[in-house]
Amino acid sequence: MAMTRDALVQALAAIVGVRQVLQRPSELLVYASDGLPGYRKQPSLAVFPRSRDEVVAVVRLLARERMAFVPRGAGTGLSGGALADGVVLLGLNRLTRVLSIDAENRLAVVEPGVVNVHLTRAVAPLGLHYAPDPSSQAACTIGGNVAENAGGPHCLKYGVTLNHVVALTVILPDGEIVTLGSSDGEVDGYDLLGAFVGSEGCFGVALDATVRLTRNPQAVRTLLADFTSLDAAACATSAIIAAGIVPAALEMMDQPTIRAVEASIYAAGYPVDAAAVLLIEIDGLQAGIDEDVVRLQAICLEGGAREVRVARDEQERTRLWQGRKKAFGAMGRVSSHLVVQDAVIPRTRLPDVLRSIAAIGEREGLTVCNVFHAGDGNLHPNIPYNANDPDESARVHRAMQAIMQTCVDAGGSVTGEHGIGLDKLDYMSLIFSPESLDAMCRLRAVFDPDQRANPGKVVPIHACREWSQTAVLR
Amino acid sequence: MSSTLPSSSASARACAIPGTPLAQAMPGLDSCVHCGFCLQACPTYLALHDENDSPRGRLVLMRALVEGDVSLDDPDVHAHIDRCLGCRGCETACPSGVPYGQLLEATRATLAMRRPLPLIARLILGTFARPWALGAALALARLARALGLPRLLAALPGRLGFAFAMLRATERPLGEAPYTPTGDGSRGTVAVLHGCVMQGLFAATNRATERVLGVNDYRLVVATDEGCCGALHAHAGDVDAARRLARRNIAAFEQSGADLVAVNASGCGAMMKEYGHLLHDDPAWSARAAALAARVRDVSELLVAAGPRRGGPLALHVTYDAPCHLVHAQRIATAPLAVLSAIPELRLTPLADADQCCGGAGIYNLVEAETSDAVLTPKLARISETGAALVATGNPGCLMQVGGGLLRAGSTTRVLHPVDLLDASYAARVPNADP
Ligand SMILES: Cc1cc2nc3c(=O)[nH]c(=O)nc-3n(C[C@H](O)[C@H](O)[C@H](O)COP(=O)(O)OP(=O)(O)OC[C@H]3O[C@@H](n4cnc5c(N)ncnc54)[C@H](O)[C@@H]3O)c2cc1C
Ligand code: SF4
Ligand code: SF4
Repeated sequence: MAMTRDALVQALAAIVGVRQVLQRPSELLVYASDGLPGYRKQPSLAVFPRSRDEVVAVVRLLARERMAFVPRGAGTGLSGGALADGVVLLGLNRLTRVLSIDAENRLAVVEPGVVNVHLTRAVAPLGLHYAPDPSSQAACTIGGNVAENAGGPHCLKYGVTLNHVVALTVILPDGEIVTLGSSDGEVDGYDLLGAFVGSEGCFGVALDATVRLTRNPQAVRTLLADFTSLDAAACATSAIIAAGIVPAALEMMDQPTIRAVEASIYAAGYPVDAAAVLLIEIDGLQAGIDEDVVRLQAICLEGGAREVRVARDEQERTRLWQGRKKAFGAMGRVSSHLVVQDAVIPRTRLPDVLRSIAAIGEREGLTVCNVFHAGDGNLHPNIPYNANDPDESARVHRAMQAIMQTCVDAGGSVTGEHGIGLDKLDYMSLIFSPESLDAMCRLRAVFDPDQRANPGKVVPIHACREWSQTAVLR
Repeated sequence: MSSTLPSSSASARACAIPGTPLAQAMPGLDSCVHCGFCLQACPTYLALHDENDSPRGRLVLMRALVEGDVSLDDPDVHAHIDRCLGCRGCETACPSGVPYGQLLEATRATLAMRRPLPLIARLILGTFARPWALGAALALARLARALGLPRLLAALPGRLGFAFAMLRATERPLGEAPYTPTGDGSRGTVAVLHGCVMQGLFAATNRATERVLGVNDYRLVVATDEGCCGALHAHAGDVDAARRLARRNIAAFEQSGADLVAVNASGCGAMMKEYGHLLHDDPAWSARAAALAARVRDVSELLVAAGPRRGGPLALHVTYDAPCHLVHAQRIATAPLAVLSAIPELRLTPLADADQCCGGAGIYNLVEAETSDAVLTPKLARISETGAALVATGNPGCLMQVGGGLLRAGSTTRVLHPVDLLDASYAARVPNADP
């Protein structure tokens, strides 16, 4: 017979201590949302192990009791992935130790709750950094990054999380501990590491990650190009890539975004009258870098830029980047609610897709704020609105659907980096055939045959032939 | 394709606590986008790792109060709101500009309608609200200090021992050597807030403040009958007492006729700059309050506007800890460092995480002892890493919290106000009035 809730609370408290188990509704409220607060799902209880051993003991207890659970890092996810609907929430945010740093082989082993930027800070004295830099890096955890295969501005040149994780220790939902990948890069058999990275908490819990560290480049140049039309900025992006320059990062922000940032504490000195700016960074060897700066300036000016500014020092560079990285947060001041979108399109289609999005916004009478990774075609059209206005909400709804359809029609995909989670479930059948979805279900069954880890996320349950009859475990 | 628009519209729900201060502050809550950037800036989250003790979590609880998801006497809500330091580290991390400090005060005022403050808090606040009682208490404290009691009793276990350590921390590490300021008064008239604790326990720092302002061409005038700014009361939710004290100070500084009001206690400066907000719905006072608030400056702002003039050499090893109500509430980060760099030969070692709260937070260290200690511990560790002999910080609460903590930890590092250092430098060589 299944354990009662009280018995479960007691058993968990025996492992992690009474204070580390939350069960009263008022204390669970904050855990009902992640970075996308439009969704609220209250967990039945929340447990916060303080060590790896405690995580293992908790997962094994839940396995014994056949109870479902949802891992959670910092709760900055933008797809509702870390929400537990009436099941146990397993917080990994207390496991914050950097376990080892191997400067020679440029590897670090970290616990899952290490905040992304803390790792970079820890290895900075060695002239190293952790390259994947999601805009949320000051808050999100490496465990959450692994689960979402997070990207970031500098992933254009350096690759996403998957390219920087060499090994993971994972506890599977049944309590078995496995090592995926290996720190020397040699793996026999299937690439299960690659399957786990991006599995959104559905394949088990990452207990530690061995990640690659990247040497700080010898030289960095950061440029801010200022355009009077969105179209020109988009065309300039294509021109830069076409010229064979691979920037470390190439980001675009449009006017509503620029204005939100400039009104915030992270004001970066972006021109508020520009229709769009491109934030371009190149790095590498000192030799030749300034020639590339000149080439980039020329391309932007030819493409209609009013001005191209080069950051004079590290301080100005930091300020330009802080503005970009805090842009999403800054939109909170525009209106009381915000929808966030994440889609990828082929880079060549950037100008016409942006034009279509602008037209959709205009048609529905909405402000679309674009802030995105232009270099890899990863769009983030965000719409601030007032959810208390039913008419406006309906228009936002229509606009979002139309935007997604436009991206899919352009040969794109419905998520670049935020994952499917809860938010994008309905889009899955838009881009995947029933056969592909079923294959995903079967892959998941290898890791989690009872569908107890993060149930109900990523793949719509009706798409899974085997599971569609059985109810999700509670 | 079905809906992907979050079915939020949370604030569409009726307000469960109409007319309360929190309900009025609701628009500020709406600007939180739940991004989580504030988590790592919050000392209580870093110490406790529970989002209920983070800014984002507390904002969720505030919203739940407004929407009726939790009741005004929910003990969890009280616990997590009580545990907030009010340091406002979350405000300088928040891209969305959530006015957290105002929301916190509104929440505390709303909760106080239901539940009296704890006895110890009421005793302390009651004392601060009555000049005669506060005068007596501070006189007693000075007497104890003069008798050397803190030296004997600072080692007592628990809060009592800590309180004596805090008192001992008010002893000056540098002597006071008065000199005659040389400035020409051309920068306008200034009245210094002497305040309550500053005048009671740091009177020499108040005198030093007047001297260094004089050296830097401010003409000093005296405000009579000014005193406690009301910050402790406002932070605890006792808005009525805060307003009474604010009105008294407004009248006093108006009477002084000074162009500017200089404040050397950053908690008080932050409060006085918000007098306009505190009295916004008092028709007789709102305009006067806003006008006075606009004339308030931290002493470091005034000094930096004037240079400040360089004094004589002080070969001391110093680190600087930023008071929350200076760096987060007043957003003044570099001015105190500029003040210190006007001192020849002073060696300034940066303090890691200087902008993190020390856990003093007004009377927090007395009512939330356990969390306060958890917040203080990393601060002491960072200070010890600098190897500095002195910690400069511009707020009496921080001076006593950090100073008391250092004493209890057996450290030889002492605390003092940046103005005391500048004053000692001027005492070593009074700058010439001509530039
Ligand atoms: C302002 C802002 C900017 C952002 N910018 C970017 C960006 O540039 N690029 C980008 O890719 N994302 C971005 N995001 C999204 C988000 O930050 C990332 O998805 C991040 O990786 C989530 O990390 P987290 O620790 O917050 O995880 P959570 O939100 O807590 O969880 C995310 C998922 O990971 C799972 N999970 C968490 N920890 C573990 C673990 N140890 N083992 C297994 N599963 C686990 C959860 O179950 C959930 O499914 C942004 C978010 C915000 C709010
Ligand atoms: S005021 Fe300080 S303690 Fe309170 S929520 Fe903000 S950062 Fe945390
Ligand atoms: S940083 Fe600001 S907007 Fe983001 S969660 Fe914290 S309070 Fe809300």
